[in-house]
Amino acid sequence: MDTTGPVERVLRGIAISLVILFFMFPIFWILLMSFQTNETILRVPPSMVFEPTLQNYRALITGRLETQTSTLEIRFMSNLYNSFFLSATSVAVGLLLGVPAAYAFARLKFRGSEDIAFTLLSFRFAPPLLVLLPLTIYFQQLGLSNTYGGLIWVYQLIVLPLILWIVRGYFEDIPADVEYAYRIAGHDFWATFWKVSLPLAMPGIAAAGLLAFIFAWNNFIFALVLASADKQPVTVGALAFVTASGIQYGQIAAGIVLSITPTFLLAILAQRYLVEGLSLGAVKG
Amino acid sequence: MSLSLENIVKRYKSETVLDGVSLDVARGETLVLFGPSGAGKTVLLRLIAGVIDPDEGRIAIGGQDMTGVEPEDRGLGMAFQNFALFPHMDARKNIAAPLTARRMDKASMAETVSRVARMLKIEHVLHHKPKELSNGQKQRTSLARALAAAPDVLLLDDPLRNVDAKLRFEMRLELPRLLKSQGATVIYVTQDYKEAMALGDTIAVLDAGQIHQIGTPEDIYLRPATVEIARLFGDPVINLLDVTPQMVDGRVQAMLSGVAVPLGAAFEQAVGRDCTLGIRAEALKFVPADTAGAIPVTIETEAPLNEKTITLALTRNGREVMISRPATQEAPSMGVAHVLPDPSSLHLFERATGRRIVGAAKATVPQGALQ
Amino acid sequence: MSDTIRSTRRPRRFRVSRRFLPYLLSLPALLTCIGILIPFGTAIIYSLQRYRLSQPWNRQFNWGKNYVDFFYDPNFWNTVKVSMTYAFTAVTLQLLLGLGIALLLQKRTMFNNFVSIMLLMPLMTAPVLASLMWKLMTNPGFGILSHMASLIGLQDFRWGSDPKTALLTVVIVDIWVYTPFIMILLLAGLRSLPKQPFEAAALDGVPRLFVFWRITLPMLMPFLLTATLFRVIESIQQFDIIYAMTQGGPGNTLMVFQVEAYLNFFQATNVGRSAALLLILWAITYVLSSIFIKNWLRLREKQRGEA
Repeated sequence: MDTTGPVERVLRGIAISLVILFFMFPIFWILLMSFQTNETILRVPPSMVFEPTLQNYRALITGRLETQTSTLEIRFMSNLYNSFFLSATSVAVGLLLGVPAAYAFARLKFRGSEDIAFTLLSFRFAPPLLVLLPLTIYFQQLGLSNTYGGLIWVYQLIVLPLILWIVRGYFEDIPADVEYAYRIAGHDFWATFWKVSLPLAMPGIAAAGLLAFIFAWNNFIFALVLASADKQPVTVGALAFVTASGIQYGQIAAGIVLSITPTFLLAILAQRYLVEGLSLGAVKG
Repeated sequence: MSLSLENIVKRYKSETVLDGVSLDVARGETLVLFGPSGAGKTVLLRLIAGVIDPDEGRIAIGGQDMTGVEPEDRGLGMAFQNFALFPHMDARKNIAAPLTARRMDKASMAETVSRVARMLKIEHVLHHKPKELSNGQKQRTSLARALAAAPDVLLLDDPLRNVDAKLRFEMRLELPRLLKSQGATVIYVTQDYKEAMALGDTIAVLDAGQIHQIGTPEDIYLRPATVEIARLFGDPVINLLDVTPQMVDGRVQAMLSGVAVPLGAAFEQAVGRDCTLGIRAEALKFVPADTAGAIPVTIETEAPLNEKTITLALTRNGREVMISRPATQEAPSMGVAHVLPDPSSLHLFERATGRRIVGAAKATVPQGALQ
Repeated sequence: MSDTIRSTRRPRRFRVSRRFLPYLLSLPALLTCIGILIPFGTAIIYSLQRYRLSQPWNRQFNWGKNYVDFFYDPNFWNTVKVSMTYAFTAVTLQLLLGLGIALLLQKRTMFNNFVSIMLLMPLMTAPVLASLMWKLMTNPGFGILSHMASLIGLQDFRWGSDPKTALLTVVIVDIWVYTPFIMILLLAGLRSLPKQPFEAAALDGVPRLFVFWRITLPMLMPFLLTATLFRVIESIQQFDIIYAMTQGGPGNTLMVFQVEAYLNFFQATNVGRSAALLLILWAITYVLSSIFIKNWLRLREKQRGEA
């Protein structure tokens, strides 16, 4: 590939620039909008020259929207909190359930284990509404509708297969002899699991946890169907924003920026494991 | 502690890996489990360690049935072929692992670790993680870990397999003393016959999931039960020639390249049967052409091998034979030469079954065999 | 000495026989999922019933009538058509674009790695929020893209709110979000390919286009297949982007399976039809995902073997 001529290099440069423009421009533009007032946003033609303001962020964080006619209460911060709480708890529960199961699937091959593992995987690909719609009715009967508990349970649908299949791969990569050596040294199964298997699979567990958090955070449909206003995460909340009267466009943009920043940061943190996570453990990055 | 295995059977899916293995090892004895790769040696060790369960049969340690006893309760020490060190712990923690399990107090634990480390000459690397250790140091660490709690039964799974030749040689000299000093019952797995002969009080030859011979190192070398064992024990590989012994003038003899080779009276029962004659390379000697019973060969090539020299030659009917002699000894290096087999160290096997036909043989292993 | 050691061994905390251990470890996860399997069974029953939330008294089994009705239901066929068109267009474009970008970034340089991480940002954006972003940019009043459209002579280009361009708009959002997914999988694939065939080809002066068709593409096939199937399965079920952008509108131009089923359930309260619709979608994804899983597993084994 070192034989590239100048023409080719220029073409490559243009291609990469176009790619970056297409994928980065929306984020850049929304970021700009989030620092503008409605007056500058509504200018024709649109311009990148404006006096930046933090009033959109201030309004979101304080939860009070001052308009000429009235003061509007918005619950964006509570949406943000819900997102954090739902994602973090779902991941914690998912790890608690998924890591031991991943170990069982990786190490202690048992009757039907492969079938079960695949069934769990196929959940990942079933239409979520198929399960969600009957669940709305069940949740009403069980008193689970619009509870964090119910949502966290359903979030396992996204979180569990991911954790199970990534962590399983990491457990499989630990040589069986290393575990045997610890058992033979006189430690029981649980001590071995705790002191050898878990620490050795830790990078995978951390990666799976981070990715599961991102997926849970970005989920929309589960909360749309099962949560009402006070339990809604930002994905549902932001959409409700648009239709709310009196909202300013800059505030929507600021809301988007606040909602996507956590996943961006986590993605950078988990960058090395993203490929593995996105392919459910099939491709190593 | 004595160790006994009774009719152990282990299958993986439809494949039978161990097929009725029985063994008895007396307290303090070192038993070498010898066999080619894939013979089931490692599986057998894992069964004894209790990390996998046999499909049939019984394992007893110190007379106690081990069925259902978890590995951590069997009081064993084990060293692995690939060392199986805990990658996230330094050498000191690795060695101390059996001691923490036994809830030893800090001071005596530190004392034990440094004593074992001193014995194995790895005191200076105790703070290193396994990936910072050389192969030799890894190997010693894994041995130290196996020995640390002074277990009654020690399982060593080919611990010298993955170390370089120099270290292997050193350890082969060092290990017997070390093992004896422990006073433990040892099962040592190897596929190196020299290692087996150097370390074993008893050698059990395992092949294809079955024990083919159990005996002292001398037994196995001098009286191999099968052609296969004769081939596995010995370097260079034993010369094997097809013969049909005959009775001529009241004496048993076999025709090799048109020369009648006397076999000795003990082989009488082989007369008229199709056999494989085994002659170890060191049992062939160059002799002058006019010696009675000398077999003419054409020398192909010669290779010096430490203290001995191996000559590859062809018999008249084109069969390869190898002749070994001390390096100091002069011998023809090309052209036609004559060799004479030592009648007291001939092995005769039935060709169809490969089984040994009882016969007399020398009582001591020649010096050169272990080098 | 060994005897004293043995006697001081601590008592076991809690033991489980080797036979039950795997079940004990996996049971909590399995129970959680079984709870989710029950609604699946319920959905099958719903789909065989005449069931409207607004008329609970009328609820009764009609044994497959919901399915039979689909044959004569232009709305259903519209849904099938829209879903297929959406999935096909989006995935094809993503595949071409993703492969192109992966090839551009194939070399491991600081710059390329930086760009590839940067390109992951759209993928990490929640699809709903991505839709929202594009909605702001295509707003007829102040949207930058509407303005740009007018600059190149497309006056009154209405993007998502015009039936003619609605599909194009959501496909663009889908491409924006998911092309990086294909890109990153293919990039990992490209970088894991063995070097020798390429070096040999370069030495022999084989034309680059030929190398691409005869060496790169075939070797990349398992990755391409996995990425494609992944995306097809997901985009045929796309809900977030379309729901956020137009709620299936304008009219029924974007009524894909899940949006249609959602509106059937919550607006028309026609539970039976909604469930039947979802089961058909499930059948389609089931077939696709069993193909996918086979291929995915082969890739997984291969990659583990090489690691």
